[in-house]
Amino acid sequence: MSAVIEARNLSRWYGNVLGISEITLDIEPGITALLGPNGAGKSTFMKIITGQLKANIGQVRIFGQPVWNNRHIFRRLGFCPESDAFYEELNGLEFLTGLLSLYGYDRKECLDRANRALELVELKDVSRRPIRSYSRGMRQRIKIAQTIAHDPEILILDEPLSGLDPLGKRRIIRLIREFRDAGKTVVVSSHVLPEVEALTSEIILIHNGKILARGDIHFIRELLDSHPHMIRVKSPQYRELARLLAAEEYVLNITFEPEASAVVFETHHRDRFFNRLNELVLDPGLDLEEITSPDDNLQAVFDYLVGR
Amino acid sequence: MKEEILRVFSFYFFLGRKSGRTRTFFLLSSMAVLMALVIRTYRLAGHWTEDGQVIFQNFLMVFFLQFLIVLLGLFYGSSIVVEELDNRTLPYLTSRPVRRAAIILGKYLAYLSLTTVMLVFAVFLSYLILNLDAEFQAKDLLTVLRYSVILWLGLAAYLSFFSFLGTWLKKPILVGLAFGFGWESVIQYFPGTTQKLSVAHYLKSLLPQYTSSSGKLGFLFIRLEPTGPALALAILAGIILVFLVLACLLFTYKEYLFED
Repeated sequence: MSAVIEARNLSRWYGNVLGISEITLDIEPGITALLGPNGAGKSTFMKIITGQLKANIGQVRIFGQPVWNNRHIFRRLGFCPESDAFYEELNGLEFLTGLLSLYGYDRKECLDRANRALELVELKDVSRRPIRSYSRGMRQRIKIAQTIAHDPEILILDEPLSGLDPLGKRRIIRLIREFRDAGKTVVVSSHVLPEVEALTSEIILIHNGKILARGDIHFIRELLDSHPHMIRVKSPQYRELARLLAAEEYVLNITFEPEASAVVFETHHRDRFFNRLNELVLDPGLDLEEITSPDDNLQAVFDYLVGR
Repeated sequence: MKEEILRVFSFYFFLGRKSGRTRTFFLLSSMAVLMALVIRTYRLAGHWTEDGQVIFQNFLMVFFLQFLIVLLGLFYGSSIVVEELDNRTLPYLTSRPVRRAAIILGKYLAYLSLTTVMLVFAVFLSYLILNLDAEFQAKDLLTVLRYSVILWLGLAAYLSFFSFLGTWLKKPILVGLAFGFGWESVIQYFPGTTQKLSVAHYLKSLLPQYTSSSGKLGFLFIRLEPTGPALALAILAGIILVFLVLACLLFTYKEYLFED
């Protein structure tokens, strides 16, 4: 699959403060999540790829074209900025039709598209209420509506789930997945790990303006050979299980959780560990109630990579 | 480009009509109407003897020319970019398929239209209030039309200059106030060519010259060495054009950062 967004050696400073440094990456259709703490450089990267800022060094191309001042690209791009900013005098419908009119659609087309977007974010009922009266979640949803109303091929969403209640988050996650299923390219940033996990496993970890890692969460986890995998097994015979596995050279550490009848193993070789676990289940007939990987999530990967 | 300007114009004209700022400045412009009503009442009561035309000319010089068009130009012109930065709404505009120059020109025209309505409303109404009597003639309407066109030119020139200032500076209001009510108020009274470095000079050159019967505020025309009407018009048009082009160029190539 060819890259839709190509960034080459992107660097950007704000005076003496580093925004991003030498970021090179290709983004293909599907959902790609930028993950990093506040100030990591996610927003700077997004502002550069949406033509809001210029890179000091490097270049970014979308569909093979430079972005800065390229209005042809903007027609194919939807940008949801992080800031909670609106033309407060307007109601939701006016906000959307006003912005849609900038694309050159006629009045009817603007209304149709605005209504469709309002339906998608479930704000149709309040579309004639002033935006200033909207709750935080509604404001976030109207911001997403303006991103999708012109049916762009690329969506750049800066912290799109912030301020949403769990139901609102689920709706937006579903919507973003629908865009992915429609073959669009979605770049989404977040510093909240479960949000990213719910959206995609294709992640780019950013910290201090640099890319720490990129890839599928499991792939990234595999890269971290210096950090053991944690595998928690819940079993009524957890002590027996620990005894049998303690002899294996790839098991580095064992921690008991007697109150939960569970044991946590640390290993560098997950595959070998699971093969042996399978044998133990079949051969001595151990009962296993639950197997989980407490650290096989983005938080763990992120913590490892930034050395927490 | 024309179509893009029109799109931006429509959006911002609509937005401007709904904004609290428009209501505030409309009320401020209406002060002239209120003052005209008060003066007319005094005149009817016999407490004010000066001719309506003379009173209106004083109005024109003090309220409209030296105050209202400068203020409207300053607050609308300088806000073209700054309001988007302060409200953090700039990305909504700069991520749309319109040229950046079209954003400046579209907003400029939208704000010029809004302020023109305020200005023309106040000028016509205050003129009529002060002059509408048995002696009122149709040609008097031509006089007020001429005044309105001159003031409109001044408004367009100030709006253009302050648009440039707002595109260039992060905090243009203080510099704008110093220019509009400092430089402009003082420099127009300097002798020789120095006075030609003010917009007000060219506007005054286009207005009927004051005579000894020009009322209490005739002194505002002292030291005026008027520029010919054609040249004054050309220079005002030049000011509008040059500063709009500069604002467009600056906005096209400059990047804008939010405070944090």
